Amino acid sequence: MAEHDIPYLEERKLIKRWRGPLPMLANLALTLSIFAVTWWIFQDPRGVMRFYTPYVGYNYCRWWLIILIWMAYIFDFWPFKKDWVRHAHPVQKGVVLSLVSVGIMILIIHGFFEGVLGNTAFAYFNPAQLQKLPGITEFYAVEYAAQACMMFAVIASWISPAWIVALEGRPWENQKQPVKGLSIWIGTFCLSLVIYFMTMHNHMGILYYPWQYFTAITPPYWENFAHTVSANFHVAWIMCCTVVVWFMEGIWERYPFCLIKTPWLRRFAMFFGIIAISVSLCFFFWYMQELVWGDAIRGHRRDAAPDWRWLHVGETAIFFLVPALFLQFYGGNWPNKFSTQVNVLLRTLIVIAGGIAVYCLYYKYAHFLLGTQKGFSHPQQFPMIPMIWLINIWLINWWFMDGWPGWRRELRSAEEVRAGERAIEERDTWHPAMAPGLVVGIVVGVVVYFAIVAALPWFSAHFTLVQ
Amino acid sequence: MNRREFVKGAALGVGMGAIGAMGVYSYSPMRRAFLKDVKRGTADIGVCKAVRITNISETSWFDNGVFMQDVTGAGGLLVDQYTFNWAPFGNGKGVGKGSYAEGIKQIKPLLPNKLEEAWAIAQEKSVHADNAGGFSCLVEIEDMDGNVTKYLFDTGWNYVWMDTCYKREGIDTMLANNEIKAMIQTHEHMDHFWGLPAVTRYNPNIHIYTPNSFYPEGKQYIKDCGHVGKVTEVPKGLHKIQDGVALYGFDCPIIFRVFGEISMYCNVKDVGLVSITGCCHQGIILFADTAYKELAYEKDQFYGLYGGLHISPFDDWDPKYDDLVIGLKKWDLQKVGCNHCTGLITAQKFVDAGYPVVKGSARFRSKTTNYLGNGDVIKFPS
Repeated sequence: MAEHDIPYLEERKLIKRWRGPLPMLANLALTLSIFAVTWWIFQDPRGVMRFYTPYVGYNYCRWWLIILIWMAYIFDFWPFKKDWVRHAHPVQKGVVLSLVSVGIMILIIHGFFEGVLGNTAFAYFNPAQLQKLPGITEFYAVEYAAQACMMFAVIASWISPAWIVALEGRPWENQKQPVKGLSIWIGTFCLSLVIYFMTMHNHMGILYYPWQYFTAITPPYWENFAHTVSANFHVAWIMCCTVVVWFMEGIWERYPFCLIKTPWLRRFAMFFGIIAISVSLCFFFWYMQELVWGDAIRGHRRDAAPDWRWLHVGETAIFFLVPALFLQFYGGNWPNKFSTQVNVLLRTLIVIAGGIAVYCLYYKYAHFLLGTQKGFSHPQQFPMIPMIWLINIWLINWWFMDGWPGWRRELRSAEEVRAGERAIEERDTWHPAMAPGLVVGIVVGVVVYFAIVAALPWFSAHFTLVQ
Repeated sequence: MNRREFVKGAALGVGMGAIGAMGVYSYSPMRRAFLKDVKRGTADIGVCKAVRITNISETSWFDNGVFMQDVTGAGGLLVDQYTFNWAPFGNGKGVGKGSYAEGIKQIKPLLPNKLEEAWAIAQEKSVHADNAGGFSCLVEIEDMDGNVTKYLFDTGWNYVWMDTCYKREGIDTMLANNEIKAMIQTHEHMDHFWGLPAVTRYNPNIHIYTPNSFYPEGKQYIKDCGHVGKVTEVPKGLHKIQDGVALYGFDCPIIFRVFGEISMYCNVKDVGLVSITGCCHQGIILFADTAYKELAYEKDQFYGLYGGLHISPFDDWDPKYDDLVIGLKKWDLQKVGCNHCTGLITAQKFVDAGYPVVKGSARFRSKTTNYLGNGDVIKFPS
């Protein structure tokens, strides 16, 4: 591997500028300040531009996330020269790359989806086309178009990083940029499009009266399983996939799939393993709501509505992504001193605690701080928007700005990168002596699961989060 | 045994065991072992003989396109209603730039008696004041002895429109003669609440019930409208007001920065439960399900429903509303009078699905006969 072939995010080594928690606190203060200002300007219903309608703002922040992933993970900052990426000041890079990402986002949303697809293929991507439907107002035409566009982003935000993390960029991993980036981008875009047709298109078909039986399969095939005709069922498991991809890449260090030493088997196992773990989480988050709030009731409009319960599964997952990324970026993926398995378990416990804390803080204070709806289940309540908005700012700070101001960047040579990969390779091996522990651990895991299941109704009866 | 390797395996196993159990158990039929069975409610609120409802006004705003234009201009459905610059709280600064304090300052000296003058100022300072209408209805409860008690449900929005509607239905005289026992202010939304001076003008002493979740502006407005009577804040849950009649407070977040709504249950002898609602932001299924879980009612029959059902108030649509149209079947409703925020598409879908929708006369600016429209009356039992 030549130095110019090493992705920038892999070749860099971020070093803390100061000892102790100061770098973390400095970056937290900076990013939260940026969050507060930009939230007020762009999203807050009491602020300047008020994009939180909610779908317009959701669409923007969701697509912005994808563009950031594309720029850093898939295109490795192409077409910017490696030299500039390596040597420009972090603030300069942060500003330039952020502006470019916003430009691409606008081009994709308003140019491609709204302009091209909305005028030549699917009317629901274009507000003006939607308004030809009698009775529909401009507001809802814009909302529906934004929702349709956003739903594509939901899928792409799982598939795009999964291709790199799980499939390791195969089969284009040895190509140079931009061939590599364009190939993966087109591949993931096409796959996302196919999944979109099978999961979201039916939802959009039901938006019309009468249902568009002849252009979308309605009622959709998931109706009896999910107890709703809403595509929020798919949002649930796909959001979990998005979150688990980043768990896998960050706090889980691709464990346990990295134990598989046959490359093709490891890649497929990881790709489908992410889906399996996500579906498990998805079902559990659903079950948690049943245990806390009671059975879902079809046709309900609030916290018992199946469609909202599925949406809340995805929202819950996102609450856990926030502490996971924080721990990975600013916490140095702490702890690191134990074996990988123990480190992964401890990080997971930290993230669970952090996620619960963020969840509680959000529902207790977001109404006052962010101008969002009070309570859990209002149809306009989308905690994913502020969570993803914050994540976007962290990604910009960590990927584009190299962790400035708390961190400084050094570059690793190709030999250092290879040595690091070899060390991980040797570390992550299966040992038969782990088997007895594995069996005991599985039993403990099942017991823990049922203990949580048994405890949740009690917590629900004795603890009220939102009065 | 290698202790270090055992711990590694155990750490891995805990995750695998927990995630595996999540996947296998959490959505399987076995999960019901940890879920409580729904118990039928037993709370007894007594019975009444009959319920009669007169729709005074269901047209909250007259042009949905104009209304949504304001919503778009102000920044969406989550913007605080007092900042829209809607009448009567206009300050002349344009859509989305208003405040209660600035708005009320200009009209307060005129309330509640000089409504026309106050509204004229509001028309000048506010956005699309003429688009405002309002929701209000008269609920008459006949008890088992044949005595009738009257309740006014909500007070609408536009002072002039509401005053005209009240005069049309004789509500002004009923208020002035103290014939109306109380006013049920279901929630804080402008189209249900801001027309309050059209009530206090005739009876400033009227007993008002509100949810206990009004924002400070709403509480102040009641005082600023010249109200001097009793105000009862209804908390979440059941609140009996007479034999056979109870209010129920629902904690639910609502658009335009409003929280909480109260609705009414009437237990009609030998008929079943009749439910009356302003906007039903809690959702009609929750409305029905709450009655099922809390109340004992005649013949165990969820008989009738009246009011705004808040499904597609802006003629919007979402697949989850189809869940509602499909899910409502199991309640076996016998009589539905819907209007206001139910939505024209929803009313049509109810009719298409075969629900017993009572048709209206589409008079006084009501838009469809699928709605029980302005000036129409519905009785339970017929």
